[in-house]
Amino acid sequence: MDFTPIKDAMTSKSYGKIADVCDDLMLQVSTQGIAFEDEWPYTIHLLGHIYVDDINSARFLWKSIPPAIKERQPEVGAAWKIGQRLWTRDYAAVHEAIRGFEWSPEAQCIVAAFSELYTKKMFQLLLSAYSTISIQDTALFLGMSEDDVTNYVVEQGWTVDSASRMLTVKKQPIVTEQKLDPSKLQRLTEYVFHLEH
Amino acid sequence: MDSVEAVVTQIQGLSGGSGDISLLHSLLKQADDLLHNESTRLAPFLEQLDPSIHTLGYLYLLEACTSTPIPKEQANQLVLSIANFINNCSAEQIHLAPDKFVSLCKRLKDQVILLEAPMRGVAPMLTAVRKLQSASELLTVLHPDFLLLCLLAKCYKTGLCILEDDIFEVDQPRDFFLYCYYGGMICIGQKRFRKALELLHNVVTAPMSTINAIAVEAYKKYILVSLIHNGQFSTTFPKYTSSVAQRNLKNFSQPYLDLANSYSSGKISEPEKCIQTNREKFEADKNLGLVKQVVSSMYKRNIQRLTQTYLTLSLQDIANTVQLNSPKEAEMHVLQMIQDGEIFATINQKDGMVRFQEDPEQYKTCEMIEHIDSSIQRIMTLSKKLTTMDELISCDPLYLAKAGRERQRFDFDDYDTVPQKFNI
Repeated sequence: MDFTPIKDAMTSKSYGKIADVCDDLMLQVSTQGIAFEDEWPYTIHLLGHIYVDDINSARFLWKSIPPAIKERQPEVGAAWKIGQRLWTRDYAAVHEAIRGFEWSPEAQCIVAAFSELYTKKMFQLLLSAYSTISIQDTALFLGMSEDDVTNYVVEQGWTVDSASRMLTVKKQPIVTEQKLDPSKLQRLTEYVFHLEH
Repeated sequence: MDSVEAVVTQIQGLSGGSGDISLLHSLLKQADDLLHNESTRLAPFLEQLDPSIHTLGYLYLLEACTSTPIPKEQANQLVLSIANFINNCSAEQIHLAPDKFVSLCKRLKDQVILLEAPMRGVAPMLTAVRKLQSASELLTVLHPDFLLLCLLAKCYKTGLCILEDDIFEVDQPRDFFLYCYYGGMICIGQKRFRKALELLHNVVTAPMSTINAIAVEAYKKYILVSLIHNGQFSTTFPKYTSSVAQRNLKNFSQPYLDLANSYSSGKISEPEKCIQTNREKFEADKNLGLVKQVVSSMYKRNIQRLTQTYLTLSLQDIANTVQLNSPKEAEMHVLQMIQDGEIFATINQKDGMVRFQEDPEQYKTCEMIEHIDSSIQRIMTLSKKLTTMDELISCDPLYLAKAGRERQRFDFDDYDTVPQKFNI
């Protein structure tokens, strides 16, 4: 079987494309009637879905994996464990699932990339959802030690109340593109004109 | 033509220009019986043809070749040759004999299901849909088959790609029912409840003269998805629903209507009781997973309702009102809803309070303008389509004859555009 497209996407670190590349290739090889299951890089495929936050697809893929393979390749199960934690919104356990397995070198790169992305996303979530939050919870959400997390958020302008072990979140102003293409405005004007006359 | 050899020679000679092709087509029609009689010895002849050049001839031969029941050992080879043909055939020539092409694709579907390898059919079936379809708004006979294979192979994401096309033209009602039902299931699997609701709604409200099983199953799922997505379910049907559906659907879905009823109480215990009583029925319908999602959506709905009343509320109060076990659980629910953009709020852990906010969207970003503009464009296209359709119907002799006949039942002024007698 020719896994070149997947390998290419992995080496170029285009992790966002992995899921699509794997999906396409899987449909192709199965059309040719090749028994691909034994050789299929299920771990990478699962992680590809997880990376783009498509937990539904990861779940369906997991369901379609033959039980023998799940047994033989513990890494596949470990990859799904991350997906499962995301599925149940067990935020802190996602970090545990990432750290709780000795990943093979290929899986390690995409797991590391996902871990970084996930920490960033969680930070954004905390930023939008909390005004104050305990150091302990922040550490769990971001998957760091309490000391590391304190340093991390203080750099972002948060303040620490060491008596109550609480952090005060500093909201960042959201910058959005406001510049408008004049033709768009023209069109909207025409609609309104049309409606009023 | 009296032999397969002669047919093959004709195919090779006449696959070029358009004039030749139509001649070949009529020759093939005459030879169809012969090909079916000789079906067992056709396979070697296929090798003399190129599916991309001799599409029409190849199609007739392959269709005849696969028309007899096939032993399981040969099924693998058969699937391969059909898939190969679908990939390479010329769409132009397919349109000359769509029925043959469809029956060939249906055989592919049956075979891969028989081989318990539905995934093998997914990619070829998608290609087949695209080649058979002359416009993306046309529903083909193969749409439901493709979606069915996606469901069986658990390739839900692949199924989504044809659901994004808006369908305006339908040939067979059954295809439409199945397309919307399977499509609804795919969207449910991908948690695209809005689109799922739209598709299931189409099944429930489609014109029908007798009640059918697809509509019944769709109605059950429609109730559940409506509860999950809208937090409520209205038992009154829209005016354009067929009277058959209005009269019968409810009789087949009592447990689901009970669930909808208990949901509106706002108390978690009510739907849970209802599920206890009807568990077997939900399970038999394979809807238990979806039913459970209905219950968990109720927490969200109740929290959302709080945002309409309060500006700030303690986590403890939220836990008490929506019947969660602890303030921490309430916090996690609120957090999830913030993450999904379902509410706007900030949690203050220090004081154990939640402050609810307004939607910060100010409708002035580029992205939003783009969004509004594209919505307006879509509505304009839709409105134009409706006008065309309306014009078409108002010139339709059948419609005019009927409208003319019924005229005396109405006031004269209402129908002055239609003549009293309209004999055509």
